[in-house]
Amino acid sequence: MRLCIPNRLEDVFTALEHAETTLGRADIDDACRADVRLVLEELLVNTVRHGYPDGRHGTIEIKLEACTDVVRLELRDDAQPFNPLEHDPPDLPGDLADREVGGLGLHLARSIASDFEYARDAHGNRVVIRFDPTLSDEPSP
Amino acid sequence: MTLIVRSESPTPARSTVWLEGRLDANTFTDLDEALSDITPMVDNGGTLVLDLSQLDYISSAGLRSLAQLRKKMNDRGGRTLLLNPQPQVKKVFDIVKAVPVKEVFASINELDQYLDHIQRTVTGQH
Repeated sequence: MRLCIPNRLEDVFTALEHAETTLGRADIDDACRADVRLVLEELLVNTVRHGYPDGRHGTIEIKLEACTDVVRLELRDDAQPFNPLEHDPPDLPGDLADREVGGLGLHLARSIASDFEYARDAHGNRVVIRFDPTLSDEPSP
Repeated sequence: MTLIVRSESPTPARSTVWLEGRLDANTFTDLDEALSDITPMVDNGGTLVLDLSQLDYISSAGLRSLAQLRKKMNDRGGRTLLLNPQPQVKKVFDIVKAVPVKEVFASINELDQYLDHIQRTVTGQH
């Protein structure tokens, strides 16, 4: 699957539906499908909400390749520089009701992906994530 | 598939809300709206049960809604208990350590036993 979407929330959810279809056709099991959906939602929503603070129109490209032993997701955008790996994980102990809930999405995305790469080039941000469909049932540490 | 929120006619002491579908950045406002009607009907010190057996998926946007709900209930001396989270939801809770383990129940029996125990502790019976 290769898809280019504008930086709007409704297009994020259209992209998630396309991703579901792609993963379904490749016979990826439910647990891994949900993992990919979660990582994709967290990263795309983050980019749409925070990547274009000046309100300009942007484009996000999504490539998704699914095989039985690996799912590879590549995201490119023309948003402001943002390295999802640079940010500290949130403070986790204690009741969720009593803490600031910023950073949870990125933490989830990083915990769930088996492999996460970031690069910035002339086009913008590029993130490559791999999932191992055989590991999805195991909770991440 | 989106999110469906159902509730029984709430009693002041204990009300149950059933969630079905996906709780994400697209649907969390549906939950927030439904709960803003329901939580005021639960007494101060009452219990709100969220039945998650039909909830397939949650993301950080959904976690934020649940956190706000728990905070609202905590502020009124109440409890928010979660019933029967499914694998994806459970995994997300585990990763972010979202909910004290003692407030998540696998079955309605477990939940009833817990509430009976609380009740006995409150009324001083043993």
